[in-house]
Amino acid sequence: MLPILSLIVLLPLAGAIAIALLPNDRTTWPRWVAAAVSASVLALATYAMVTFRPAGGLQFVEKFDWVPAANIQYYMGLDGLSVLLVALSALLSLLAVIASWKMDKRPKFYFAMLLVLATGTNGVFSALDFILFYVFWELVLVPMYFLIAVWGGPRREYAAIKFFLYTLLGSVFMLVGILAIYLHPQGGTFDMIALVDRGFPANFQWWVFAAFFLGFAVKVPVWPLHTWLPDAHVEAPTAASVLLAGILLKMGTYGFLRVSLPILPEAWKSWSWFIALLAVISIVYGAAVAFAQTDLKKLVAYSSVSHMGFAMLGIAAGTAVGLDGAQAVNISHGFLSAMLFLCVGIVYERAHTRQIAEISGVAGQMPVYAGMFAFASFASLGLPGLSGFVGEFLALLGSWGSTLSYWYTIAAAIGVLVGAAYMLWMIQRVILGEPSHSIADAPDISVREASTLVPLAVLSLVMGVWWASTLQFFEPYSEALAKVLGG
Amino acid sequence: MDWILAIPALPTLSFALLLVMSRQVRMRMLWLPVASIFGSLILSIVAFAQVWPGGSEEAIWHAGWEFAELAGKPVDLSVALDPVAAVMLLVVTIVGAAVQVYSLGYMHREEREGWYFAVLSLFTAAMLMLVLSDSLLLTFMMWEMMGLCSYLLIGFWFENEGPRKASQKAFLTTRVGDLGFLIALFAIWGVVGSFSYEEVLHTVGDWPAAVAAVAGFGLLWAAMGKSAQVPLQVWLPDAMAGPTPASALIHAATMVAAGVYVVARMLPVLMVTPWIMQTTLVVGLTTALLGGLLAAVQHDVKKVLAYSTISQLGLMFVALGAANAEVALFHLTTHAFFKSLLFLGAGVIIHAAHTQDMRFMGGLRRHMPITTVTFTIGSLALAAVFPLSGFFSKDEIVATLLHEHHYVSAGVVLLASLVTAFYVARMLFRVFTGPEQTKHLSEGHMSMLAPMSVLAFITLVLGFASPTFANFLGGHGVWPDPFVAAISMTSAGAGLALGWWFYGRRSAVVNTAIWKRRLGYAYDALAQKLYFDAVYDHVFIRPFMLGATLLAVFDMRRLDGFVNLVAATWVRICTISWRVDVTAIDGVVNGVASAAKGTGSWMRGLQNGVIQRYQRLVLGAVIVLVLVVFMVKGV
Repeated sequence: MLPILSLIVLLPLAGAIAIALLPNDRTTWPRWVAAAVSASVLALATYAMVTFRPAGGLQFVEKFDWVPAANIQYYMGLDGLSVLLVALSALLSLLAVIASWKMDKRPKFYFAMLLVLATGTNGVFSALDFILFYVFWELVLVPMYFLIAVWGGPRREYAAIKFFLYTLLGSVFMLVGILAIYLHPQGGTFDMIALVDRGFPANFQWWVFAAFFLGFAVKVPVWPLHTWLPDAHVEAPTAASVLLAGILLKMGTYGFLRVSLPILPEAWKSWSWFIALLAVISIVYGAAVAFAQTDLKKLVAYSSVSHMGFAMLGIAAGTAVGLDGAQAVNISHGFLSAMLFLCVGIVYERAHTRQIAEISGVAGQMPVYAGMFAFASFASLGLPGLSGFVGEFLALLGSWGSTLSYWYTIAAAIGVLVGAAYMLWMIQRVILGEPSHSIADAPDISVREASTLVPLAVLSLVMGVWWASTLQFFEPYSEALAKVLGG
Repeated sequence: MDWILAIPALPTLSFALLLVMSRQVRMRMLWLPVASIFGSLILSIVAFAQVWPGGSEEAIWHAGWEFAELAGKPVDLSVALDPVAAVMLLVVTIVGAAVQVYSLGYMHREEREGWYFAVLSLFTAAMLMLVLSDSLLLTFMMWEMMGLCSYLLIGFWFENEGPRKASQKAFLTTRVGDLGFLIALFAIWGVVGSFSYEEVLHTVGDWPAAVAAVAGFGLLWAAMGKSAQVPLQVWLPDAMAGPTPASALIHAATMVAAGVYVVARMLPVLMVTPWIMQTTLVVGLTTALLGGLLAAVQHDVKKVLAYSTISQLGLMFVALGAANAEVALFHLTTHAFFKSLLFLGAGVIIHAAHTQDMRFMGGLRRHMPITTVTFTIGSLALAAVFPLSGFFSKDEIVATLLHEHHYVSAGVVLLASLVTAFYVARMLFRVFTGPEQTKHLSEGHMSMLAPMSVLAFITLVLGFASPTFANFLGGHGVWPDPFVAAISMTSAGAGLALGWWFYGRRSAVVNTAIWKRRLGYAYDALAQKLYFDAVYDHVFIRPFMLGATLLAVFDMRRLDGFVNLVAATWVRICTISWRVDVTAIDGVVNGVASAAKGTGSWMRGLQNGVIQRYQRLVLGAVIVLVLVVFMVKGV
């Protein structure tokens, strides 16, 4: 039996090393290596997803001692929570490579960084040992830092450092939490599965939950810890934005679902109202601030704050339906934020501006592109039949049926309305109207560009029409976790 | 009988095929959506025949598939065919087919004609699926899908400001209503654990009162948005910016009626709570009367029809508020035919007169005989003149109210009928009589007149199906009571006479300025659409936009400013500690220190020292916090 997970995680790293060894004058070789490696990883991840049995618990487990003295293991495996995230990560990594096909600034370094990032994100979702998890978690920061700092916009250094330090600060608290659990008499292990529902004292749980909260909430990001996100997105190159919004943010919600809730359920009970409050603020505030943006990319960035708020609301609800919703938001936002950022990148390449006021009438000049952009926008504003609705609806349904006050659900539902407002207004200004001067001679999307958007659109449609396609993976995990939280 | 699924599947298929074609290919494939809607029409007739003679509310066919599993409970998306659905299938496919054939002529040579037909097909599919739906979740999904199609068709001419704004307004206003639908779904799932109509309606008696109230009001609110009832009516008049045949299908016959349809289906949920039924009645009455008054001051012929639709939907809500779903559905059916006929007629009129303003029309009857006859039939049906279909369905509403002893309500309905007859007469005389104001008037193309004639024929005969209709749906149908009919006819006759007195007496172009002056503020208020738009603009839209801008500034200046302040402070602390620390990492210290002097460029300095400071930060923080945790552990 092949060690599939190890291959999924380490193959990109090997690819990055291979790229580093390529001759400098062969500028087109790195992208081919990156594409080949990413495609293989995607094939492996797809294989894992297809052969995964939703009701079968942990699968593809690889476990052996790594540092026996400290009880640290090389422990990887997939369950319903992680299998789709790994697949998503593999998919977006490949699409990021395709979207960066024309990258001519230091291509070796660039494509190597994309691959290292894939190792980090695949690793985070596969690791089941806290130390291994932490290593991958921190590994993610480095390539993303360079992607922003080297290939970013005018304020790239500021944005990159802000991203790096902000999320690093969060993860330091997470490390403290990990060590606290290990050092506690009832802990004594880094095994993330074995630690589930260990019955730590409530007081201890409260503090450790707080530490993990800082680590994960920065990543999601939850209001008011979100201000690194718009800067990072605005400065980042398109592919980095795609990966940042599509995968890196999910690490935060994944952390809550993998660590905070199952290991510290007592603390979750006293924290849930607070998480719900921040979630609702994120939803409404993110949407309102998105409405006021003049930069297209910043608008999409704030929309991420708003959408991830739905995932946090589902987490705060803690019901099986709410947890389904949180995971559905993760996957759906992975598709849709990636699509939106790709669309922003495509129009930026042609118009050389991202100012909403300077772009209009895309539909007249680039109809296919406009169709894709509008599709992503409508999916993102929660049109039933597309993926965005699944997560939003389930998170709201779950929070209504939870012990949380109904007002959280009602306020968040109003956020749905505000979400429709900023998206429609963006469509009205950018996509509709008379073509602006900035896109006067712009060609419609190429086959290569379409090939990054179409798979995401198809997946969004499938997920939205056939909910079970994704929910069958989440359901067993959500039900088990809801039982832990309710017990 | 799973072939019934082909009824919505055919238009879906034609949408999907048109979507992937290029613009040029689409233009040559316009027979495809038309053929598919006729296919659906034929199948709907067969389905109707299968249900015939009806007489009960039971479904004769069910289908469902498990869509997902939530918290261990299966969620089914199910469809069913019962008499109500069978009737609605016919309404949607007949009007849909008429509109598509008409559109072949009307939209001819439009650049995006293919796209128009694609969206029309998607809309038809969604509406047909909503009609068949036996699950509130499926209903909601189709409900929203229709909202999207409506948005796309209103904004069909998106290069222009008007359609763009109108489409956005329509989508957002109906979304305000849809929040009610969402909340109702949550409340229902909470007590029933299912979205199936059957289970919802069977258990409704056992629900806690609060849940029934939330669900009932949520559904009512959603229907008020979709069916453009006061105070959510503001979007529908603006929606007239879309192509006229699309308005005929979506904003007259089907989508706006979906609100009435869903409430009629879910009426037992609303009936649990008396105040919700009273609200339905009051909303319906208010809308019926205000819609009529507003229609009476419009100059744009399409706007007259739009307000008229609002008013007629209000009458359907009145019937629902009086707990009589069959009467509401019968008026929905007759209205669907005569109002789509009027819209199609208005399209021909607008093409001929080159204006939508009735003040600049006139004398059309001499050049456009078929349009004149069919449009007049539709208009008189709207005015509820015997023996046209509108007479029978409106008469039933009055009879229901009298039977339930809602005498005041009946009075309001009669008043609304009078107003309706007045604006109908105004429209007819303005458009068809008087001096001609347009040169080269000519009759419309056959492809447009034929569908209108079919709809006019249905309008002529449908009224006589009145008792059969109620029996078919499982109710108890009766012929009109002569006494009630006499009252209805009197109010309609009075309205028509009033209209004639103002607009029909003279052969010159009628100038009503003097009457407007005499009406004073009352006219101004109506001309300003009773200030609904202005109030919403000042109370909701502007404060929201201002609030959003202020929040964005807060986000950048305060929240992010605080983050930067923390970072800057940290850099200072590090710089100072390093100065004390000295020589070993001298170069870095110098770099950091010099950079830190300039407050504007502190971040560059941060980057110079990042690796070292990173290590120091991690190490320091870990040590301190581990100590804290040890302390906590001790607790």
